[in-house]
Amino acid sequence: MALLRLIVVLFLLCSLVYLCVAWYSRSVRHEKLEKEWDEDHPDGGDKMARQTFITQGMIDYNDSIRPKLLLLIYVVPAIFVGAMLYITNAN
Amino acid sequence: MRYVRNTILTVLVVAFGLLLYYVLPRHDVARITGTEIIRMDFSALNRPFYAQTDSANTDMPTRDVRLINTVKKRTMLLGFIRRDSERVFVYRNEDTGWIWPPYFKFDSSDLQAEALANVSSPGNEQWVVITRYGWRNRFFTIYPNMIAIKPVEGPNVTVVPWFNIVFFILLGAAMLFIRAMWRQFRERAIDPRMQDGRDAWDRVDAYADERRSRVSRWWKSWTGK
Repeated sequence: MALLRLIVVLFLLCSLVYLCVAWYSRSVRHEKLEKEWDEDHPDGGDKMARQTFITQGMIDYNDSIRPKLLLLIYVVPAIFVGAMLYITNAN
Repeated sequence: MRYVRNTILTVLVVAFGLLLYYVLPRHDVARITGTEIIRMDFSALNRPFYAQTDSANTDMPTRDVRLINTVKKRTMLLGFIRRDSERVFVYRNEDTGWIWPPYFKFDSSDLQAEALANVSSPGNEQWVVITRYGWRNRFFTIYPNMIAIKPVEGPNVTVVPWFNIVFFILLGAAMLFIRAMWRQFRERAIDPRMQDGRDAWDRVDAYADERRSRVSRWWKSWTGK
């Protein structure tokens, strides 16, 4: 059952990386939106409008391709395993 | 405190370096002189330096291990410089299976056959490039594990370690990425929550800036820029 163990361990590791990177990506986008608003409204602007702008920006982010690309974090190690299997064992 | 931190850091870096030194693939130029199977009675000292029995078998405390005897070109500096002299060298040939290290090697029997197919005698040498990981140590009776054999024309071949090149580039990229992630985490999640912490970080930052300006001043004194 070594294969099962590998799958479980790899899945947990990938999940950890995925959570970290997903948080980072969202955080960077959030910061960018804040800065965008602050640049357009040097006086600070309406607090509610700012919140709406950022929330809308985050909704747009969630619908964009970027968060879906993060699923590559699960795909790439699987491809690596497959490639190594082939390279090592192909005669 | 500083000494403690530096010591721990040094130990971690050295341990990580040794791990990579053990696990990353290396290439040897050698000629195969024979193969052998010996029974190994492992102890706690050398058991960690062996993989396990062939995939899908039951792992027993004692088992047979395939060995491959060679005469290989001596090298220096982690194998970067090859010398003309030769030495005998023995490899083991074990499945790593689905377990560590991640070579996913299941073809030990085939590799043994391949080794036998390339056996040569002095005067009529068949040189091969061997891919392997691990160390040879006589006191602990451990052998590097052979991963692949590639017959070559002569002993003066150039082997480009593509895997290691890509690996270290990716490792560097990953480290930069983790650094960026940590900074973002500090800025967005830690600092706003504890004012005291921010003061401490500010002091650390100020210290780092001060050091950096000192280094850049020294650099300017040399370059004149």
